[in-house]
Amino acid sequence: MLLRCRIPLPDFAVDIDASFDARVTSIFGPSGSGKTTILDAVAGLTNVQKGEIEINGKILFSSTRGINLSPQQRFIGYVPQEDALFPHLSVRQNVLFGSDRANEIMKRGMIEIDHVLDVLEIGNLLGRPVTKLSGGEAQRVALARAVLSRPQLLLLDEPLAALDIALKEKILPYLSRVRDEFSIPMIYVTHNLSEVLALADWILMIRQGRLLAQGVPKDVLRSADTIAQIAGEQLENVFTVTIMDSDRVAGRTRVRLESGQELFIPYVPRSTSWPLQVRISAGDILISTRRPEGISAGNIIAGVIRSIGIFNGQAMIAVDAGAEFYVRLTASAVDRLKLVVDDPVFLIMKTHSFQIL
Amino acid sequence: MLFVTIETWQITLFSVAVALASTLVILPFGVALAWIFARKEWPFKTVVETVVLLPLVMPPVSTGLILLEIFGRRSPVGQWLYNWGIEIVFNWKGVLIAMAVMSFPLLVRAVKTSFSEVNPRLEQIAATLGASRRRIFFVITIPLAFKGIMAGSLLAFSRALGEFGATILLAGNIPGRTQTLSLAIFNYVQTGREHEAYMLLSITVMIAFASVWCSEWLLHPAKAS
Repeated sequence: MLLRCRIPLPDFAVDIDASFDARVTSIFGPSGSGKTTILDAVAGLTNVQKGEIEINGKILFSSTRGINLSPQQRFIGYVPQEDALFPHLSVRQNVLFGSDRANEIMKRGMIEIDHVLDVLEIGNLLGRPVTKLSGGEAQRVALARAVLSRPQLLLLDEPLAALDIALKEKILPYLSRVRDEFSIPMIYVTHNLSEVLALADWILMIRQGRLLAQGVPKDVLRSADTIAQIAGEQLENVFTVTIMDSDRVAGRTRVRLESGQELFIPYVPRSTSWPLQVRISAGDILISTRRPEGISAGNIIAGVIRSIGIFNGQAMIAVDAGAEFYVRLTASAVDRLKLVVDDPVFLIMKTHSFQIL
Repeated sequence: MLFVTIETWQITLFSVAVALASTLVILPFGVALAWIFARKEWPFKTVVETVVLLPLVMPPVSTGLILLEIFGRRSPVGQWLYNWGIEIVFNWKGVLIAMAVMSFPLLVRAVKTSFSEVNPRLEQIAATLGASRRRIFFVITIPLAFKGIMAGSLLAFSRALGEFGATILLAGNIPGRTQTLSLAIFNYVQTGREHEAYMLLSITVMIAFASVWCSEWLLHPAKAS
């Protein structure tokens, strides 16, 4: 996908030039940095002064060639931040709103309605009025509606921002399911790094309408520039895991990361068919230069320091321990332990520091 | 003791029928114009809006005079209509046009407000889902603004029913032909038929109360109940 556009806004201009080909591309940046404007430009909902927007070789907009497809012609699914659903229509009517267009373009690949309802677990909501849905349910319905219009690209504008933490934890796995089940590329706007790490395989870092960096999230997040940008953020490590075995008596479940690394997390009673997502805050991980003994923490794993970024007395350390873990320490701890890149270290994580998403 | 005469019934029926017809005639135009005012921007838009609102504040008699100039048989428009066998002045069509012109701004204003309250994001999302402009208008915009459109129509209807100044100039005050409730009350008072005047007065109060109450109820359901 090619995204080159200039859009003047009252305070600054969005001016970016990016080219990427990923399943989930995340546009990451603070509030008010022009992220939604970029999505609107892709969907054809805002005036682009000049530039080129191209998906799968199809030109949606080109100021030089005088092409500007209408939103109807672009085949792009859009899930806005809030107030996404048509309040006067039922959940069923909302879900099916774009599906009649989809009937004409079956060649794009059939997506079964029942399958979508199943994956997003909204089958039982169909008869309800939209006003009787919770925030998380409404977002899942909006997501289903967008998927069922068989778009060539899905745009998600901070779909979790309007939800509180408890609800977020429930909807993030649905987003991963949509990504894995329907193979529709997504552009995902967020100002939350955990979400980037959980979903995206490409990241565009935006500030004040400008592209600061782009690349594979783990690479981009290593740069000192990036760490300066996210110094104030609560950074969480998010992993997709499969359950190996669960022991109720011991109170813990053994899981395996995609990289093969095994971890203990709090006991999960259900054996789920979907891959599970777990998270641990960067501030909840300890680093030791020697393997600790006689310690209660359930997870002690060996790794190598890949990068150290220090900003305002805070250090963000990326450690390769099978998977990549981000650890937040104070600058003084880095000093005291004399940590440098390529040092072997041990990560110490309490079983209970992991939360299941 | 007030009693309703056949004459007052006829006057009431005629007024209500023509006011209703006038409201139905202006409804599509009013809704379309209100949508354009609420959603489109162009240079000197406020000038156009002011012109549309003028009948609301101008003396109705002045508006009536302008209408007489436009539709009178000596004017090109009146002449052209006359050649087609249509005469506006001094018959029910004159009443209808006077009512329509006088109530149009009220309708446009109320409906414009209700269109402005429809979140444009919903229309945009509908477009990304492939809905044509026509479908967006009829399936998203109109239903979401429906209460406001109904309330505006009721206000327009009430205004039409109360029309006096423009009607008397364009259609005259001809009993049995162009006499509406307001014109008849004026006539009865002038000729000392106070009983009939009060009769019609109470009818107008009832109709006006009902339509304004309904309109308020549509716009602010909680407050009215």
